[in-house]
Amino acid sequence: MRTYFKPLKSLSLLLLIVFLVTNVRAQEIDLLLKGGHVIDAKNKINGKMDVAVKDGKVYRVAADIPASSAKKTVNVSGLYVTPGLLDIHGHVFHGTETNYLSNSLDALPPDGFTFRAGVTTVVDAGGAGWKNIDLFRKNIVEHSKTRVLSFMNIVGGGMRGVEGYEQDETDMDAKLTGTMALKNKDIVVGIKLAHYIGHDWEPTDKAVEAGRIASIPVMVDFGKALPPLPLEDLLLKHLRPGDILTHAYRYDQEYDKNGKMLEHKQAIVDVKTKKVKPFVWEARKKGLIFDVGHGGGSFNWSQAVPAMEQGFQPDVLSSDLHTGSMNAGFKDMANLASKFLVLGMPLADVIAASTWNPAKVIQRTELGNLSVGSDADIAVFRLREGDFGYIDASGMALRGKQKLEAELTLRSGRVVWDLNALSAPLAK
Amino acid sequence: MRNSKTKFTLLSILSFLLVFSSMALSAQEIDLLLKGGQVIDPKNKINAKMDVAIADGKIVKVAANIPANSAKKTVDVSGLYVTPGIIDMHAHVFQGNDLGSYIADGQTAVPADAFTFRAGVTTVVDAGSSGWRNFRLFKEQNIDRSQTRILALLNITGNGMYGRFEEQDKTDFNPEMTSYMITKLFPKIIVGIKAAHYWGDFTQVDRAVEAGKLAKVPVMVDFGEHQPTNSIKSLFLEHLRPGDIFTHTFAYGPKDRETVVDDEGIVKPFIFEAQKKGILFDVGHGGGAFFWRQAVPAIKQGFKPDVISTDLHSDSMNGGMKDMANVMSKFLNIGLTLEEVIEKSTASPARVINRPDLGNLSVGSEADVAVFSVKKGNFGFTDVRRNVLKGTQKMDAELTIRAGKIVWDLNGVSGPIWDSPQAITR
Repeated sequence: MRTYFKPLKSLSLLLLIVFLVTNVRAQEIDLLLKGGHVIDAKNKINGKMDVAVKDGKVYRVAADIPASSAKKTVNVSGLYVTPGLLDIHGHVFHGTETNYLSNSLDALPPDGFTFRAGVTTVVDAGGAGWKNIDLFRKNIVEHSKTRVLSFMNIVGGGMRGVEGYEQDETDMDAKLTGTMALKNKDIVVGIKLAHYIGHDWEPTDKAVEAGRIASIPVMVDFGKALPPLPLEDLLLKHLRPGDILTHAYRYDQEYDKNGKMLEHKQAIVDVKTKKVKPFVWEARKKGLIFDVGHGGGSFNWSQAVPAMEQGFQPDVLSSDLHTGSMNAGFKDMANLASKFLVLGMPLADVIAASTWNPAKVIQRTELGNLSVGSDADIAVFRLREGDFGYIDASGMALRGKQKLEAELTLRSGRVVWDLNALSAPLAK
Repeated sequence: MRNSKTKFTLLSILSFLLVFSSMALSAQEIDLLLKGGQVIDPKNKINAKMDVAIADGKIVKVAANIPANSAKKTVDVSGLYVTPGIIDMHAHVFQGNDLGSYIADGQTAVPADAFTFRAGVTTVVDAGSSGWRNFRLFKEQNIDRSQTRILALLNITGNGMYGRFEEQDKTDFNPEMTSYMITKLFPKIIVGIKAAHYWGDFTQVDRAVEAGKLAKVPVMVDFGEHQPTNSIKSLFLEHLRPGDIFTHTFAYGPKDRETVVDDEGIVKPFIFEAQKKGILFDVGHGGGAFFWRQAVPAIKQGFKPDVISTDLHSDSMNGGMKDMANVMSKFLNIGLTLEEVIEKSTASPARVINRPDLGNLSVGSEADVAVFSVKKGNFGFTDVRRNVLKGTQKMDAELTIRAGKIVWDLNGVSGPIWDSPQAITR
């Protein structure tokens, strides 16, 4: 009798435990995104799945997670669920100085441009240098809901102006920059070199040296050198695998010292033959990263269309967001992603180039994916069909049939954007 | 004889010159022609298919069938609505980096250009972010550097919206200095006075009205942080003047703000009386001041706001408010006609702030123009507590023109196709 009773007792205990566990299960999901098409490049998911969020983290990604297990369920059927977009080229070091993109009015507060486009992380591309990275942290990183990171400028004072400040080689110190990058490694993910007009490689090499010290990549905005320096040398001789060429589809005017217009030596597509230059393919093979950095003047159909036709897709989609790009051809990251869709880039690739690819590039592999346990930074997009138009940096239009719209954005599990009130209760 | 002959020759030369020059003018005089759109210009009582011609940054002609060959550039806007550039009468754009401050030179204020053009807005009125002590900083730092036309209501509090606590300082409510700032220094930019966030009695409102009388400008009141509540009936009928503005009309926070619609869902009778008296009701949506439970019954009972506005700042930009086009869409979905929505976002606010030069497409006025599409579909709109109202219409700003310059083009309607013969290759 006793011998029977004991197992029975343990059985009921077990049942009790099972009951308790299921009961906990029944309430354990805070937010369930149900019925969407999940695209998560890192985890090789491209299909219909539900995404469960708990305590600000991704808790589960699977087919048919029951709504009864969640405190709140949002129906996202017909929509695409992706990791929150990661924009590695923004200018968000806003302030009130009159200089260019460092603590200035030309840079923008991130939250007004990120969430409404599905972006949850933005990397400021060189607004701050080692001298003002502390100010950047205090004013921007700590005051934004968007996750803000930095490519620190090789110029100590940051991106204060093409004329003067950014040409001052005495303010480019690889050791100090590298050391300060290490000291601030929670927010500094790379080094930026931009706008240098001298005909020498010293600033490039200093930026790479700083990158070496801190074991982080270098992003280069190339093409201001007078006379031009060869892009081939930059990519094949000076940069390392993992370093980044931004403004990849730029078609800039280049002049010699006397103001005579030169051929577009620094474009990736040969202007005459319309072919992607052979050394560009070689650089990609070597591991160089090609970033869009659309901006106000750095994305032209005349480069992007032939490049895409020849299969030269960008590794990373990014904004180059600032006041000069926000209302022009760029607009926001969802608009930029739409451009590549209409250029024929598959949606899964567009999402990968805006999430997992940039996360790898900046060595922050905890971002840009929906792995269980990662911060629940999530975007939900609608792919609209219709007649749309997109303009490039020179005001030229390209018509397209598709447009991505950010319907819902979550940052650490919190709804921070909800275009059509998907997550809200009906008014009484 | 000789004399008359000379006269005749001179006359014919003159008339030839006149005819020729007028022909030449008409052939080239239009810089930008918006062709084939439905023009809604409430001030001029136009709601018809018309073309709008712009030259030298001004409106030069609004008429049916203006020939495209008379324009340097023609944009086909058929199927779209062409309206005066929208005026957002309640925004906070004194963006700065004083981390101790709330809105005055603080991070809660936003850069105007980032939110205006993409929503069809060409003029914003900053609603009291600055007071007389810091208006000049606001002007130099933000107003003078924006493409958006920024006007301002000056806060009766000298330091503007620095913070709730600082805004209680009665000794900083200075009608004389406030009015001087307007009449002596900036009569063209400062269009009124703002009173807001005050916890006490009617002192703040009365000082603001005093300043308003001295400067001959209207006063806008955000009247809702009193515990217990102060009477809005008294505010409307005993303290404010006709032409003064009550903002956050559809707010709901009965503990500290008397509501316009009562608990039974009925618009309080004195509200109609106040509107009849000339008190103006402004939406000022914001992050906490727009509830369906107030707005829907009000509209149903025939109480319509005089002005639609955003109360744009960083706590409203990503919430139920989003942008001016979204707020306008809300009113479209709860029973206002498109023409009413446009009127309450153009001609009406222009009248309220005594700027009849704005908010219309009269010939000669500055070419601030918005072009909207009205999408049909299933949309959702939230109030500030995330309650949803489902709607079937949504306005998108397709094209925005500020002083004749295209400053927003959602779908590239103004650009030549990149590989067409018209494309500009540089």
